[in-house]
Amino acid sequence: MVATSTTIGFLPRADLQGLIDLLRQDGRTLLGPTVADGAIVYDEIEGVADLPAGWGSEQSPGRFRLQERGGERLFDYAVPPTTWKRFVFPPEMPLSVATRNEDGTLTLGPAKREIPKLAFLGVRACELAALGIEDRVFLAGPYTDEDFRARRNASIVVAVQCAEPASTCFCTSMGTGPGIRSGHDISLIELDEGFLVTAGSPVGSAIMEQLPLGTPTADHLSAASDQLVAAREKIGDPVEARGLHDRLLAKLDSPRWAEVAERCTACGNCTQSCPTCFCTTTVYQSDLDGVATSTERLWESCFNEGFGKVAGGNFRYRFQDRYRQWLTHKFATWFDQFGTSGCVGCGRCITWCPVGIDVREELNAIAPPSGAVLTLPEIKPVPPPRPGIFTIASKREETPDTTTLVLTKPGGMDWEDVRGEFVMVSLPGIGSVPISVSQRTPEGMVLTIRNAGPATTAITSLDAGAQLAVSGPMGVDWEGPLELAHGKDIVVVAGGLGLPPVRPVIDTVMNDRDKFGAFRLYYGARTPSDLLYKEELAAWSARGDMEVAVTVDRADATWLGRVGIVTYLFDQASWDGSKVIAFLCGPERMIQASCNVLQAHGVTPDRIFISMERHMQCGIGLCGHCQMGKFFVCKDGPVFSLAQLGDTFGREGI
Amino acid sequence: MSDAPDTAARPADEASLVAALNSTWFGANLPPDTQVRLGRLARRYQAPAGTVLLAEGELANELGVVVSGRVSLRTLVPEQGMITILTVEPGDIFGQSAVVPPYRATSSCVALQPVDVIALDGPGLRAALASDCELAAALYPRVLQALARRLSATRLQMLDLFASRQGGKW
Repeated sequence: MVATSTTIGFLPRADLQGLIDLLRQDGRTLLGPTVADGAIVYDEIEGVADLPAGWGSEQSPGRFRLQERGGERLFDYAVPPTTWKRFVFPPEMPLSVATRNEDGTLTLGPAKREIPKLAFLGVRACELAALGIEDRVFLAGPYTDEDFRARRNASIVVAVQCAEPASTCFCTSMGTGPGIRSGHDISLIELDEGFLVTAGSPVGSAIMEQLPLGTPTADHLSAASDQLVAAREKIGDPVEARGLHDRLLAKLDSPRWAEVAERCTACGNCTQSCPTCFCTTTVYQSDLDGVATSTERLWESCFNEGFGKVAGGNFRYRFQDRYRQWLTHKFATWFDQFGTSGCVGCGRCITWCPVGIDVREELNAIAPPSGAVLTLPEIKPVPPPRPGIFTIASKREETPDTTTLVLTKPGGMDWEDVRGEFVMVSLPGIGSVPISVSQRTPEGMVLTIRNAGPATTAITSLDAGAQLAVSGPMGVDWEGPLELAHGKDIVVVAGGLGLPPVRPVIDTVMNDRDKFGAFRLYYGARTPSDLLYKEELAAWSARGDMEVAVTVDRADATWLGRVGIVTYLFDQASWDGSKVIAFLCGPERMIQASCNVLQAHGVTPDRIFISMERHMQCGIGLCGHCQMGKFFVCKDGPVFSLAQLGDTFGREGI
Repeated sequence: MSDAPDTAARPADEASLVAALNSTWFGANLPPDTQVRLGRLARRYQAPAGTVLLAEGELANELGVVVSGRVSLRTLVPEQGMITILTVEPGDIFGQSAVVPPYRATSSCVALQPVDVIALDGPGLRAALASDCELAAALYPRVLQALARRLSATRLQMLDLFASRQGGKW
């Protein structure tokens, strides 16, 4: 929104209804502050009478009270619990509808959605900044949220400068307020007699031209200036903003995280009241006979217990890990991902924390911030992968709890143009799970799935001929590291269910064997009966042009193979690590041990590539579940070099 | 290891024993005097797959160095039978209880493949370690390294990393 006019007009108080009427013409819904439920909330406004005349708010850590101030002023409250986020990024949003037809086939379709024409009245400077941050989150790409874009484009933003900040406010520190600078269509400054009006966009200018504006007097201008100065002084500068990114990330081991966790209840109020938190989860609702299933996106919180949970465990099982994740994301890794801070200093997380944890106090205790906004590269939005219907052509039981499915789709797959490491496999009515593509076939793909929960159990219990919805492939695959490996020796280390994700590496090297040097596969599993791809392992071993070493953690007396951990297979090997490119996948603790041994052999971190496991839901970096430090594993990974991961790798609770 | 010599023992040639020991991770690059002294304590034998080289609880009279083949370390678990907890590959040792009081085997050592083993006489080795500082200084770090490697591996095995965590917190 480019400012088109610097003209300031004066709108007498009695004429505010005129602005409201203009905003509500053409059936547009006007949303603004009103008193309800013992608070000020953003809701539909039909006239000036709906606005909170004479009401203010008293806010402090863990406390919000309406405050009767008297008088005619309409906007002398500090930010309420509601955020504008809910109108451009709804808490509940239908995504798609799946129907199971009588013949068992599936039909997928988009959910019905309407983009309402809205106008927002009373947007504060910090809230304008929050909308700007959400623009970066949802529109910075490569995947973009087109629903958000449509809602943003369909909204008119009328900002009202803050005159009565709360004790919880710290927009001054975050560089977002209290003065209005950009992001609005129209801005208002409320004075006792009326409003100073400025346009911030062509839409705003057009509205302004229709208002009965006078010329502001010198007294008006000086009153506005005094008001702003007073607001700024009232807030002060409670958080040192410069260098917060580096200082916070240097304090990942601070004892303060555990201390704050003693008070934190992980209720998620801070994330639900935050104007920029964007994590979501996906739920499936089916009718009783399972014929129609709707997929909905809901707001989610990184404080929820299941947020970091994968089949192998919960990456953030402690409250201190979740608090650290939230705080370091807001104030540090948000910069790495979106080029800006994730906090605007509105103070809602302080007011609405039931135990009164004050983020300013925590930041000052742990480390202090930078108001710098980094420039992100221009992006060309990439449409999110659309789900396709695949049919199970055949299935093979690998172990008692792991099944390989061969999926096909009409017309097959053109793998020349397709990149990606994993797919989201959905069974309507049951759930959706991320699965690594273990083999690419002209007809489709091969997936090896362990029964780790209800969705995977349901998927693997389907028979040949059944249909599944598959989105993707998505994420960074092994192709880059494989190109780097031309002419080099290959070491593949896989543990447990880590073998299917590295299968494409094995197949690529096998299919083009002359392009690569020595090839060694080290594979560890829990017991002999847990070994996957037994036939293939025997066949690879028999080829003679690769070394295959297998070990298990425990075995009975009938097993004549090796018993011991996977690093036993190569810790005393005599090969030269200086020419090795290593590919690893398995439980993180096993991968750590393997990385240590590889590095002892001279394999440098830039030549060690790991497929990481995190909780993936949306697959395109927009739902937040798979965040690991500055990365979204689904979008930036799952394949990373050890050098890329740095000290994030192996750190508890990241 | 009282039954082992009967299975496949043959007279040891000291020089070839030293050379064989030198070819293993455990015995490589020891000081020449130590090599000679160990050579005098060593014998070499082969045993077919299935041979019990040392039984759990027995006096460990020899420390074995695997030259070729695979040896499993097993322990008896009620209702589960003999469970293999580790396999020992060429270069590594078994029967190190021969130098650690009370000199009794903590697991059974069973050949999974035909094995070629250099066995160091336990009482002789203990006497040498007690009296020969150079030999002790050269050998103990290797025994310690072998044990530490085994200990760290055991820890990871105990973590049961590949197990499904379905019963975990959700």
